[in-house]
Amino acid sequence: MTINVCVGSSCHLRGSYKIIELMTEALKKNGLEDKVELSAAFCLGKCTHGVSIKVDDEVICGVSPENFNEIFDKYVLKK
Amino acid sequence: MINLCTDIGYHSLNKFGEQLCGDHVDVVEQEGDGNSVIVVLADGMGSGVKASILSTLTSKIISTMMAQSMSIEECVATIASTLPVCSVRGVAYSTFTIIKVTNNYEAEIIQYDNPHVIMLRDGKYFDMEETSTKIGDKIIYKSKVYVREGDTFIAMSDGAIHAGVGKSLNFGWQRENIIEFMEMMYDSEFTAKTLSTILLDECNRLYENEPGDDTTVCTVKIRQRESVNLMIGPPASPNDVNKMMSLFFSKSGKHIVCGGTTSTLAAEFLGKEVKTNLMYIDPEIPPTATIEGVDLVTEGVITINKVLTYAQSYLADNQYYTHWDYKKDGASLISKMLFEEATDINFYVGRAVNPAHQNPNLPINFSIKMRLVDELCECLKKMGKRIKVSYF
Repeated sequence: MTINVCVGSSCHLRGSYKIIELMTEALKKNGLEDKVELSAAFCLGKCTHGVSIKVDDEVICGVSPENFNEIFDKYVLKK
Repeated sequence: MINLCTDIGYHSLNKFGEQLCGDHVDVVEQEGDGNSVIVVLADGMGSGVKASILSTLTSKIISTMMAQSMSIEECVATIASTLPVCSVRGVAYSTFTIIKVTNNYEAEIIQYDNPHVIMLRDGKYFDMEETSTKIGDKIIYKSKVYVREGDTFIAMSDGAIHAGVGKSLNFGWQRENIIEFMEMMYDSEFTAKTLSTILLDECNRLYENEPGDDTTVCTVKIRQRESVNLMIGPPASPNDVNKMMSLFFSKSGKHIVCGGTTSTLAAEFLGKEVKTNLMYIDPEIPPTATIEGVDLVTEGVITINKVLTYAQSYLADNQYYTHWDYKKDGASLISKMLFEEATDINFYVGRAVNPAHQNPNLPINFSIKMRLVDELCECLKKMGKRIKVSYF
């Protein structure tokens, strides 16, 4: 599985830094570091709805520290 | 000598408690049969307003007259009869140092009563031969050298050699100590401005942050011309993408691509992939990316905004130097390439409007982006860079 976190201007301002931190932690906690390739992306083209992340080929918008666990469950753990 | 150019950087410390500096540096470029640059550092007698007026007049008069190819004798005579006479001391007095570099080939140094210019060649002290002439009651020293790449001339006002008198040192630090210090600190990558601030910082330290005299250092460094090309933003019309990219990539020198969409387009044009780094070196600055064939890929507006902050500081007291010279985030890397490496910078600015940036909740929008580029160009011009901007 590949996860890209958008670090374009808009997403950066909405907190990509925090999301990358949370993602790194969450992957470590669940022992998924070897199974999931985490990387950044320059602009996923959904700037108005950031922070955007891409899990394999699916783009998920509006990720925030508040809904992070929910999204991580739904899109990462369930797969 | 077509590929050489002169890099000039200076800065002053004001005497403690003074708002005006009594030293003044003036730079004039002269174009005619040969290209020459004339730098004049003048130190007015006393301090404050009076000294400031004396030194400004002196440096302006000399630089303007020299640029019109008038002789040093005439300049000195003009100054002697023009400067207002000091009511306390009954004389009109300002010391000066003139460095004139012609065609980046020959340097002529003329000095009157300032500490003598220190010349470094390959980072080591180089003793220039001096001849003295008497003009009126003034003894003027002249030297002439044929310059090479890397030659560095450091001119200073006497505040520099008096640093530390009665505080950290008994007799101040002499010219020999400054030579030793600069030989030790010299690095061929340092710009004239950086060398000047390194010396000034040391003087300020010796003065314990309370300079006893106006202190000015002006460095002139002979260096190779180097171009850097920077592209930011996609073109207003999608039909111009190929035109913009081919013009940009056909330029010699280094290439910087700024902006998410812009880098995607550049990667498509080159048939390569954008690889974004995950590492945030500075939480404020989005990570950089790599594209094979591009020297540096960064995010756009936020990064450039930081570069502008660094540029403004570089022109003032250069206090952020230690940030951008060593850190590896996008803004620092761009700053290093533009301020230190480049002498000629070509901007390729795309005027497409990013709909995401028009959100009123975001501190970035189209007009801000255009203004950032304009302001950055202004700063770079003040650093003595040749700037060309093309809009698409």
